[in-house]
Amino acid sequence: MQHRRGALLVALALALSGVFATVVPQPAQALTTEKATARPNEDGGDGVIGGMDTRLTWEGTVEPGEEVTSVTLTLPEGSTFEGSTTRITALEGLKRMDVTGEAVPSGSSITVSFDQAIPEGSLLRLEITNMQFPSAGGECTVTGTYEAAGATHELAPSDPISTIANTPLQSMVNWLDEQPWVEAWNSNQFLGMFLKPQLLLTSFASLAPGWLLCLGIVVAAYPFAIAIGLVFAMLKISRWRVVRAVAVTYINVLRGTPLFLQIYIMFFGLPMLNINIDNNLLGIIVVAINSSAYLAEIFRAGIQSIPQGQYEAASSLGMNYVQTMLTVILPQTVRRVIPTVTSDFITAFKDTSLLSSVGVMELMMFSKNLTTVTGNITPYVAAGIFYLIVTLPLIKVVSVIEENIARSERGAGPRPKRRAQIADNADELVGQAAKKDGVAAEVSAVAAPTASLAPASAKEVATDVC
Amino acid sequence: MSAKLRHRAPAIEVPPALPADEAARIAYEADQGLTSHAFTPGEHPIVRIEHLNKSFDETLVLKDVNLNVWPGEVVVVLGPSGSGKSTMLRCINLLERPSAGHILIEDEEITNKSTAEVNRLRRDVGMVFQQFNLFPHLTAKENVMIGQTKVLRRSREEAEAEALKQLAAVGLADRADFKPAQLSGGQQQRVAIARAVAMHPNVLLFDEPTSALDPELVRGVLDVMRDLAENSGMTMIVVTHEMGFARDVADRVVFMEEGVVVEQGRPEKVFDHPENARTAEFLGSIK
Repeated sequence: MQHRRGALLVALALALSGVFATVVPQPAQALTTEKATARPNEDGGDGVIGGMDTRLTWEGTVEPGEEVTSVTLTLPEGSTFEGSTTRITALEGLKRMDVTGEAVPSGSSITVSFDQAIPEGSLLRLEITNMQFPSAGGECTVTGTYEAAGATHELAPSDPISTIANTPLQSMVNWLDEQPWVEAWNSNQFLGMFLKPQLLLTSFASLAPGWLLCLGIVVAAYPFAIAIGLVFAMLKISRWRVVRAVAVTYINVLRGTPLFLQIYIMFFGLPMLNINIDNNLLGIIVVAINSSAYLAEIFRAGIQSIPQGQYEAASSLGMNYVQTMLTVILPQTVRRVIPTVTSDFITAFKDTSLLSSVGVMELMMFSKNLTTVTGNITPYVAAGIFYLIVTLPLIKVVSVIEENIARSERGAGPRPKRRAQIADNADELVGQAAKKDGVAAEVSAVAAPTASLAPASAKEVATDVC
Repeated sequence: MSAKLRHRAPAIEVPPALPADEAARIAYEADQGLTSHAFTPGEHPIVRIEHLNKSFDETLVLKDVNLNVWPGEVVVVLGPSGSGKSTMLRCINLLERPSAGHILIEDEEITNKSTAEVNRLRRDVGMVFQQFNLFPHLTAKENVMIGQTKVLRRSREEAEAEALKQLAAVGLADRADFKPAQLSGGQQQRVAIARAVAMHPNVLLFDEPTSALDPELVRGVLDVMRDLAENSGMTMIVVTHEMGFARDVADRVVFMEEGVVVEQGRPEKVFDHPENARTAEFLGSIK
């Protein structure tokens, strides 16, 4: 997406510059700008990054009957030629001329004076190494002036050079490049191949969209997986044989075949039927369906783990099946299955990696591409770290919840604070009740708040508490 | 579905239920002297069990049980383990479907009802279980509220006031916000009683309410039940092994063995002068 937009901009810029080149009348020039290029300085890429040493190559042709004695090149504000070295080359036909001269940098300009004038018809090439474009990046046009026959003339502007902003990340990579320990680290074959610091950093940046897509897919898929899973869990414990058979088939087929196969069938099968669904959406659908089968089994086991007495207690209050399920069984099931469901979520999240095989631009896809470009395994390690960022905390969550459940089932959970309000209110209600129902004084003694309990009851409560 | 199947091919043939007035008249005659509860001529029993049979697979656990319970009466059912007393109790609110015979509550036959009607009937029959069966995800107060709000459609405020009143009545006003796991067994059972009573049932069934409790916690629960029996006028059928409770509180004691009502009568009669040898032996061994 980003790339496409960038490409579009460049194309637009090129088109516009082409228009201007034809529209704006060129004044007669003694030195015609041929081209200006910069050497890519992106690690593992072909971009020109600002604020970072690169080499600027500028070429111009000296027109017949002219001689050029000096050239001043000017770049946008923020560029620097400090500490640069300049090589002057003049080509006259097939002949290379040795030209000496002096380069004087001044801010974002550099003035190159030649010891002898560049003769007519020759191609002048200036190669300025260790110069930097503005760190902000952008389209950089080389302008400037030249001196011919004692007069100063404007140079025609060059085609723009696209430069990339020097991000904090990029500066960190630059900084790492210069560190001796990084060099030493990378000289170890294993460390340099699997854990190259610079590449690790750039990997994090370029893998992030894939990581977010993975998360997006599984987070979008999971609510559906839970809903579908719950439906099939209920179907599987249905009292009708046919309904149970449908649920069992769905669950067993999905659990009994690899997700990889399911992905292939969906991604290659649906287009054959002329059903074309966006890759990411289809990824969500496949993950949701696959997880729903596992969740159905988890929910089914959870529901069946609730003791029969709970159903009987609900029935004895007159609750129907739906009320029993919604208010008694499922709330308890949810508590019990949270750890297992979280584990399944972890699995589903990791399984999104399989979608890379059908061109979904998720984490594995990005890291595979980056590894292909750099010939280094570090992007895979970075991908691993990205997976762990999600899974390790969830694994911790699972164990904390399991611990909590075990503790609350032992009855050691946090105690609610006593609320005086309730006791007062209850007291008052009991008073009313006693009046209304004609309950004997003995009852109110039992019923009254602890402070005024009758001795016998107080003793009973005391033993009861422990 | 399975219940329907059993009804279609009943293993045991029983006569149809008696007409209400005739049954009341017969019961009035028959129960004279069997209970210390006062009932009047023309009054109808609130629960009528006629020729109740129940089998699990091939095993017949209830054999032609007949029993009347009068409004406000406290009936304690005694008997050795496996005598069918819990099964009889569970048949009364249809947690078990009878294999044959009739159960009538307020002269309404309940054994041939659809699921929806059964749910309606159960509102009027409360049950307290041996294992409490509180809802562990709800607080004590919510346990008492849930039947009221979901089944009786009472408002939250109304249900909450009733819940607090009933919790106070069982001495647990200060435990309203505790989860069952944070309560002792005795406290849990008292919450379960409050939960059943809050529905204002016509009949309250107790299925060995103290059997799962440590001895020192039994008394609190029995006190609450005693209080209900003496002061609320609630009809109660209690299956228990608590002889002291039976002797003090029961209007009538029913002794069952091997699925048959062997003997019934006033507690002092059954305890002090049992007619049946097995009753005498059982009571002797229990004492």
